[in-house]
Formats: sequence, C-alpha cells, structure tokens
Amino acid sequence: MKGHDDPGAGLRIVVAGIGSEYRRDDGAGPAVAAQVADLVGGVTDLGTIADPLDLLGLWDGADLAVVVDAVRSGAKPGTVRLVELDIASRPEPVGDASRTTSTHGMGLTDVFRLAQAVGTAPGRVVVVGIEGSDFAQGTGLSPAVARSVPQATRWVAELIGDAR
Amino acid sequence: MTEDSGGRRTIAVEGISRVEGEGSLRVDVRDGVVDGVALTIFEPPRFFEALLRGRQSTESPDITARICGICPVAYQMSACAAVEDACGATVGEPISALRRLLYCGEWIQSHALHIYLLHAPDFLGCADAIELAARDRAAVERGLTLKRTGNQLMETIGGRSIHPVNVKVGGFYRAPARDRVAALAEPLHLALDAALATVEWVSGFDFPEVEGDYRFVALRSPGRYPIESGRIASSDGLDVSPAEFADLVIEEHVARSTALQARIEGRLDYLTGPLARYALNASELPDIARHAATRAGLGAVCVNPFQSIIVRAVELVFACHEALRLVEAYEPPEPAAVAVPPRAGVGTGATEAPRGLLFHRYELDQDGVIVAARIVPPTSQNLITIESDLRRVAQDGLALPDDELTWRCEQAVRNHDPCISCATHFLDVTVVRR
Repeated sequence: MKGHDDPGAGLRIVVAGIGSEYRRDDGAGPAVAAQVADLVGGVTDLGTIADPLDLLGLWDGADLAVVVDAVRSGAKPGTVRLVELDIASRPEPVGDASRTTSTHGMGLTDVFRLAQAVGTAPGRVVVVGIEGSDFAQGTGLSPAVARSVPQATRWVAELIGDAR
Repeated sequence: MTEDSGGRRTIAVEGISRVEGEGSLRVDVRDGVVDGVALTIFEPPRFFEALLRGRQSTESPDITARICGICPVAYQMSACAAVEDACGATVGEPISALRRLLYCGEWIQSHALHIYLLHAPDFLGCADAIELAARDRAAVERGLTLKRTGNQLMETIGGRSIHPVNVKVGGFYRAPARDRVAALAEPLHLALDAALATVEWVSGFDFPEVEGDYRFVALRSPGRYPIESGRIASSDGLDVSPAEFADLVIEEHVARSTALQARIEGRLDYLTGPLARYALNASELPDIARHAATRAGLGAVCVNPFQSIIVRAVELVFACHEALRLVEAYEPPEPAAVAVPPRAGVGTGATEAPRGLLFHRYELDQDGVIVAARIVPPTSQNLITIESDLRRVAQDGLALPDDELTWRCEQAVRNHDPCISCATHFLDVTVVRR
C-alpha cells in the first residue's frame, strides 16, 4: 500500500488495480493504480488485488474507491471505460458474467453488495475497465493496452479532482 | 436434468462458486452407480517453475508469492526454506518466530475467508455470503473482523497484506518495531474470542454422515503445531525430511487436465490440509484450542470431510492464540536477516499453507542462479483424494434431487478449500446420470 498525504484533501480515496502482472494485459489495472497514486496527492494505492474479496477490509470507510481492471468485452484493445457501481438501482447480481472473472466466484459487484450488507462499503465505487487482448502467461502489456495506461491514469485523476 | 430411455440421467451445472480458482468437475452415474469422477484443471502448465529458471534464487520469494493472492506467505516461506536449504544456511529462533507470526496472519485471514464467506453458506442453505449477511449479519461481521486481523498482522510484519514485500531469503528486510507488533495484541485478543465463537457456531451445523478413508500427510514438529517447518509424517507411518518426501512424491499428468496429480510412491493418494494436520498433531494444540475441539465434538482424528470447517475453526483458535504468544514474546531479530551466501546445490522447503502442505525444490548453480525449480502446491497433492471424496459423496447422495446432489458435490470440493488458482482456473460442474 502506498500513497502520500495531501492535507488539503478531506476525502479518503483509494485506488486498487485488480489483476496479475504475470498475465500480460491483466496487469493493466495495477499499472494504472500505481501511476494514479504517484500522480495524485492524498490517494492510497491498495496494491495489486488478485481477488475482489481482498478489497474487504482494505477499502472500508473510503469515500471513493476507484477499481481498475482489465476487461474483455469485445471492444477495441486499449479502450478505457469508467462505470459507477450503482447497486441501489440494480439490487440483484448483475449476472454470471460479472462472477466468472473472480477466482472465488465473487465478482466486484457481489463484493460491493456484501460490503454494503455489513455496512463497510465505500461511499462510491467507480470501475475503470481497460480492454485487454492478451491474457497469456507472461509479463508486459500489449502495445495498445500500454498506450492506454496514461489516458486511463489522466481520467482517474480528473475523476478524483471532480470528487473533491 | 435429462433422463433418456436407457435410464440415464444428465445433470449439468454451469459453474461452481466459492472455490479459489477455476476448473471443472464431471460426475458420471450409470445404472445407479457412480462410475467416473473427473476434476479437470486448465492450468497453463507450471509457468512459474519455468519462469524461475535463470533467475537469482533471492528473487524466488517475491516471484512465487504471485502464484496465489490468498496464500502468498506460504509461497514465500517455502521458497526461502528451499533456498536456505540449498545454500546450507539456517536462521535463528527470532527470525523463525517472526516468520511464524507472519504465517499466523495468513492462516487467520485465509481460514476466516473460507469458513465465513465460502464454506458456511453451504451448511445454512444460503446461496452465498451476501445471503448469509442478510440473514445473520453478526456472523459475517465476525468473519470479516477475523480476516481483517489476519490482514493487519500481514501488513505489520510483511509490509502489506497482499503479496507482502518484507520477506527475503535469510529473514526480513526490516524487523518491525516493538511497539507496532505490541499494538497487534488488542485486535488479536478480540480475534481469539471471535475464533472461539466460530468453533461454537460451526459445530452446530448439520453434517452429512460421510467417512473418508484418508492417508493423512502433514508436517510434524515436536512440541508445536506445525506451520513453517518440520519433518513430514503420514498416518501410515511415514516420517521423512522434506527432501526425502520430494523424492517420494510422483506427479502425474492426466490427459484431461493440465495440472499435475501427486501420489506418494507406492502409497497411492494422500490428503494434506487441516484434517491431516489435526490428525497428526492434535496433541500439540494449546489447551484453549484442544478444549474448543472437544466441546465441538471432535475426537483425536476427524475423517468427515464436511467437518473440516470445525477443524479449520479450531486452527483459527490456535493461530490467534499462537500469534498472541509470539506478539507478547517479540524481540526484533538483530540482524533482521542472516547472510545466505550462494553455492551450488539442491534444496527443499516445506511449510503448511492454510490449505495444506506446500513444497518447493530448487537446484542452484554456484552463483545462486536457479537451474531447476519444482513447486508442488497442496491442491495438486489433494486432487486425487478430492475425486475419491466426490465419488463417495455422489454415490451416497444418489437419492437426492439433482440440485441437492450437485450442491453436495460442490460442497465436497469446497471441504478441502482447494486453491485451484495455484494449479488452475475456473471450476464448472457437470453431473451426468446415465
């Protein structure tokens, strides 16, 4: 976990990268999270999260949690999307597709719902999805995904600026 | 479910949840008899063993920690032990104690996670932990408090709770300050109470009457319940060093799976993990854990795999109690790490990951570069036994409706807390009745 203090920021903001740097583009989330923590004051990088369940405890009490993850939706590799998790308007699990990416069968949406059920959920959770193309074993992002990391970092920085 | 004119029935389930990792499971039933069980694994074969070749052995704790997000400490500890064994180095008691304390943190968070979020919902008729939280919020909060305490331990000693960064071959980069370790006592006292409540809670669950015929294998370390060191013992009399054990274990590739299945030469399959540790080491538990086990109705050996949740809860009591003992006795090791000069050789390290025995064997050249690596995670060692359990559970449960039988089979897998992501990804279940 790393970050630096920004006395002017009153909100507790955490950023987490889900994935593994040993599965090529799956390392996009941790790469962006680390850059955001370096770039923006007062943000805590929760480190590389292998399983969304690990967010429990780490993101407790945050006003804003930004979770960055590689996705596979069929979009052009490197495409960056920001999605606000809004369980209130969608109380049920969002479907099997949201579960299968989790090694414990509990995806980010379910982890957020569980945290809400026990009263420890962050005030807001924003998911940043980066479309990946190569999830094979190995290190290093594919060129399109590597090029999208600075853009995703900027967008997250702007999001945090707006939240303050 | 489908049933054809030949009396064959097919049940297909798309996905088993609450298991760490990915894989698939198929149960074949023909004429009322289970005639095939296959736990299929889709592991990209042994990527990390290949990745380690040509790397400095000092890198092995950090590289292998990335194999699993749930038990990184286990990988770090086994890696350190293997390299130190190869180089002929031994660490002193203060460093061993700090390693054991860090490892207690991993046991606490991993067992709490499995008991409360993955396993307990099975026994309470809940689809998942979210449903359990809606029904019994206090229980889930208790589990999360335990998990948080484990994470806190790992963060204080390991530098962070996921993939700790403070572990190195020979010891630690920096010994945590005395006051930071002392601050762990208060949450650990609360965690110990929560662990005792956990044993009481899970012992009240209804358990199917199933008895496994297990060959248990675990570390044994006279005078203490094993975590980070010891010889390897079995319920049928084996008593060998980790190096000798590594020679005895044969890993086989089966066509349907890219993970390897382990057997002891001439002794067929075996089981590692809480049931095995308890069976071979119950007498080493501290009184508080042993009494909790007795109150929960456990004998000296537990062979009902469904009751592994009770054994895990007893180990939770042990881990909290042991962590408290180590916190209270803590003196920062000085230096925080011993020198481990490289030399050519072969070394083996075996430790008890929360879900079972994990051993590494490395061959190093004279500069300490890894020439060959072998990593045998607990789930690979348990796979054949899990299949045997499934065969028994499916056969005993044939009278159950399909959805209940499927759930029972999923439970049978979860009983052993397989960390399939150490060996694989995804787990889908298919039950075919013909």
